[in-house]
Amino acid sequence: MTKTGTPEIPIETTRPAVDARLLVFACKWCGLIGADGAGRKRIALPPNFRVIPVECAASVEPDAVIRAFADGIDGVVVMGCHLGGCRFNDANHTAVKRLELLRELLDGTGIGRDRLLVSFGTAHEDHQFAGIIQDFTALIKTKKPLSPWIPFRAGAVKEYR
Amino acid sequence: MKQSTVFLCTCYDEIDRVVDCEALRTRLLKDPRVASVTVDEALCREGRMTGLAESMNKHDESVLVAACSPLARGDRLLQDLAKEGIPASRVQLVDLREGCSWIHANDGPEAEKKAVDLLEMGLISLHNKEASADVTVKPAGRVLVIGAGPAGLAAAAALARCGIAVTILERGAEPGGTLGLISKIYPDDITPAERLGPLREAIEAHPDSTLRPRANIVSVSGYAGNFRVRYTSGDREYKETFGAVILATGGRIFLPKGHYRYGELKKVITQMELEGRFKKNLVEGKKAVFIQCVGARCDERPYCATTCCPASIKNAMRIIEEEEGQAWILHRDIMTPGNVLESYYRRSMAMGVQFIRFSPEDPPKVKGIDTVESVEVRDSISGVTRTIPADLVVLSTPLVAGVDTPVLAVHFGLQLDSYGFFREIYPLHPVETRIDGVFICGSARWPVSSEQAALQGEAAAMKAVGLLAGKTLAASELSRVPGPKLGHARADNDSCSGCGNCAAVCPFDAIRLQRRRDGGTFRMVSRVNKFRCKACGSCLSVCPNGTMQIPEASTRSIFGMIEKAFS
Amino acid sequence: MTESGSHKPVLVVGGGVAGLIAALDLAALGREVELVDSAPRLGGQVAKLDKIYPGDHCAFCPLWTEIKRVEENENIRIYLTSNVTTINPEPEGYTVTITGEPGWIDESLCVFCGRCRDICPEQAIRPLWEHASPPSFFIDKTQCTQCGTCPAVCPTDAIDTRRPSVYVVLSVADIVWATGFREADLTPLAEFGYGSHRDIMTSLEFEKWTAESGPNQGRILRRSDKQPPRSIAFIQCAGARDLRLLPYCSGVCCMHALKQAQWVKRRSPEIDCTIFYTDLRTIGRDYYDYGLKSLHMATGVNLVRARPGFIRPMPDGSALALNYEDTEAQKIRLERFDLVVLNGNLRPSLVPSSPGAPAPVALDGDGFVDRAGDDVSRFACGFSREPADIAEAVLHASSSVMQCVTREKGRG
Repeated sequence: MTKTGTPEIPIETTRPAVDARLLVFACKWCGLIGADGAGRKRIALPPNFRVIPVECAASVEPDAVIRAFADGIDGVVVMGCHLGGCRFNDANHTAVKRLELLRELLDGTGIGRDRLLVSFGTAHEDHQFAGIIQDFTALIKTKKPLSPWIPFRAGAVKEYR
Repeated sequence: MKQSTVFLCTCYDEIDRVVDCEALRTRLLKDPRVASVTVDEALCREGRMTGLAESMNKHDESVLVAACSPLARGDRLLQDLAKEGIPASRVQLVDLREGCSWIHANDGPEAEKKAVDLLEMGLISLHNKEASADVTVKPAGRVLVIGAGPAGLAAAAALARCGIAVTILERGAEPGGTLGLISKIYPDDITPAERLGPLREAIEAHPDSTLRPRANIVSVSGYAGNFRVRYTSGDREYKETFGAVILATGGRIFLPKGHYRYGELKKVITQMELEGRFKKNLVEGKKAVFIQCVGARCDERPYCATTCCPASIKNAMRIIEEEEGQAWILHRDIMTPGNVLESYYRRSMAMGVQFIRFSPEDPPKVKGIDTVESVEVRDSISGVTRTIPADLVVLSTPLVAGVDTPVLAVHFGLQLDSYGFFREIYPLHPVETRIDGVFICGSARWPVSSEQAALQGEAAAMKAVGLLAGKTLAASELSRVPGPKLGHARADNDSCSGCGNCAAVCPFDAIRLQRRRDGGTFRMVSRVNKFRCKACGSCLSVCPNGTMQIPEASTRSIFGMIEKAFS
Repeated sequence: MTESGSHKPVLVVGGGVAGLIAALDLAALGREVELVDSAPRLGGQVAKLDKIYPGDHCAFCPLWTEIKRVEENENIRIYLTSNVTTINPEPEGYTVTITGEPGWIDESLCVFCGRCRDICPEQAIRPLWEHASPPSFFIDKTQCTQCGTCPAVCPTDAIDTRRPSVYVVLSVADIVWATGFREADLTPLAEFGYGSHRDIMTSLEFEKWTAESGPNQGRILRRSDKQPPRSIAFIQCAGARDLRLLPYCSGVCCMHALKQAQWVKRRSPEIDCTIFYTDLRTIGRDYYDYGLKSLHMATGVNLVRARPGFIRPMPDGSALALNYEDTEAQKIRLERFDLVVLNGNLRPSLVPSSPGAPAPVALDGDGFVDRAGDDVSRFACGFSREPADIAEAVLHASSSVMQCVTREKGRG
């Protein structure tokens, strides 16, 4: 046990110093169509991102974004439909507001607002999806890794409900 | 522990070329959650997945299919399995082609790692998925139409012809609405009776259709297939259950007080007042000047009200023809789109109606002391200011939102646009609203002519009949996306703190707070209406306690995927 | 009403916005639908647009939902690259012949590997369309030399260059026309200069050229030298409200121009955009407000009430000269524009390309379906019926379906 009572958890030492792990929450409609389109065109993309399809960008909880950073993700992208094009009666409008408020929290916790990219309506076009991944990867790589958060992995926090 | 059957597709090498499927297979077989792994070169081939449903049902298993993108063939697979009784909650699709092999073709080892991660994410998602309980209702066979103008009567007539019983509520003493005020309808000069007569006949032909005048809605509850409505008609109160509701409450006429000396000078009247005089065969003008866009296309009402230009053309032609008079139409643009109306415009020009364009910065001035004497207008095309001797000035004013619209919006859970008209599902469902089973048509939706209103009434009737066509209506059918709904949100009563965030944010007005006994006291807890819920997930994003969950896409499953994303 | 077994299917001609909604409505009522479209994909003209007004989002996304619903619906049978070639009345309906030229690559077998595309010496093999589900390739029959190389490399044997025409005879209860519009040729109207310079385009050509998913990834460029234009003129009523060509108003062009101008301004605010109009018809829901938005953008769109006297390439061919009378300033002007977009020349698709050739159904003088004619022409929606925007087209569709299914009850 450390002095503060937090259990000693081994910190990864094999992870490269400059890395950029991206997690993309893509809505199954516009978000995924862009990703799919990039796939069909076989645009070569860096392999450092994973996509989680969601029903609507509105279902991306702020908790999930924070959890992603806590789990060692370096950048989070939320992709949804154009404002005005949401199939769930503009649920994406409230999502945008919610995610913008989340940025304040990200600043306050030292994660930094730049690590969250909200891209509504632009991911529909395949070359834009590719551009987002490439540009955001480049941005994240310019930042210091979020090392203080790594100890929260591996079961230090009780499994969520 | 429930196990999963895994299918890995090599897609004729398209996947296998970059990601070694045999290696994946070996790795997966070591996982205790996996019952079996089959590697196939083309899972989409006819017959490859047959027997899967049977076997799955026998062993109560779930299945993970790692192949191409869901947008390629995956959703078809989900559909086929759903037909066999396997719900989406027992199937997981993992995209190893568009999402991995095809975009990381030059990154062999990393692509392999990604494939492993994607499979881990898929498995954990699959193992945390549950099925939402579906509910069905036997839809009530009767439809409520509110408003007995051309839109409502056309809707009711169409429903009656389909053999569906209709209750029509009308605020006034008689049907007809605003159309009843009009003398003749453009462009063919038919009378309101000619337009509405056949509709009323069709309605009366149905033995179980009722028209209730002097009606007022008292309360509404329920959902598609089962709307419970209390209303009064005259002195009596009624309570009925309807499968669908069509709102056809029309618009309200705007009175241009303060515009062009209306109310101040004699013989300055509105288009509707002119119609009233035509109906009584009274005409009081041989030199009529029509002024367009009065109180429309301005800051207070930045919209074009659709019917005023053709209506002025119609009445201008009538004055020239019947009264052997002259007519001028002072306008900012002549709004006669399409083929019928454009040729109507040409006809009026040939007949001698004079059109003068003015700019909104320099509007016409109505002159006269006790009564109208002339109208001064700067013709923006010639630049010349003319004084037209006039003995009648007719002001074209827009229809504005009906007086009942806000109250009805509250009753039925609808939203209004910035002008006060009912909001539709844009762009491809103009008569449908955010509430399934509640439809809008006619000028309650947006100012339109009676012909358009009748057409929209028929369209609304079509959507209502389509909704009620089956013997039962399941909540899972009421989907806003292709295919069946993902599921629905569910509130865990024990952890709900009654904060109401979910009810406030729900885009479909599907959540209510209800009182619930808790020992000797009460608590407020959320309750989701499964018919209205579309599983968008807005509620679970704002729930502070994790109370709101969608079983097919629970927080546990998302957090699991996040954890495994880069394992 | 819902005893669908006793009814024959309904033929819907045209798989654009109107046809898709008509098909879905019929299917919701339990009717079988035969949906025919001459294109290799569903979606019609709206699917080819980049953005739609007044929502300002991509045209494709909302349409995709309906296309998927149609594809997944078991009551709807789809015939692509097909036409209705004969219609003969029979008791309780019609016998119709649908002739199709199927693609030589079977979409259901293709796994999109691309081996055929890579090996084709004529480069005649391309992806079907970007969001086809499932993705597949097609062979351009006009370029294919039948060299026989591709069938051998296909891992799924999906290629058959000798695939015969499809010839289907159906017995249907009713026909719903939803054939939409195409562009009328503006070359005969000399003042527009169409065809005299690459930078004089129709609005649909401009839409495709500047689409985000198009050849320039959304950049606004001239067609002649691929440089950004400094100024663009949008000419309204080109061919329309014109007794020489189309006497009617095409209905959708004013909003279409406002939308295109607004998107040019969003992407390249420095490009000067001017719309030359006669009446600015911003009538439908939220349209006028949309127009105001275009005008009041930071660097707004200019509106001039004028029809061109002539549009010609400048002597050195570097730009275009537009001569017009600014009717509200009472001045005749000659201005230079780098690009001209002509808007208005929309005519119903059913109008035969060669004058004098027969149309499959009775048309009125303007080329719209004559619904007062005989039974065959009774149900028409969208532009085949009258100039219509998206909302109107789908309303026509639902109304036509309702009339169609209720009318049969009265039929002897």
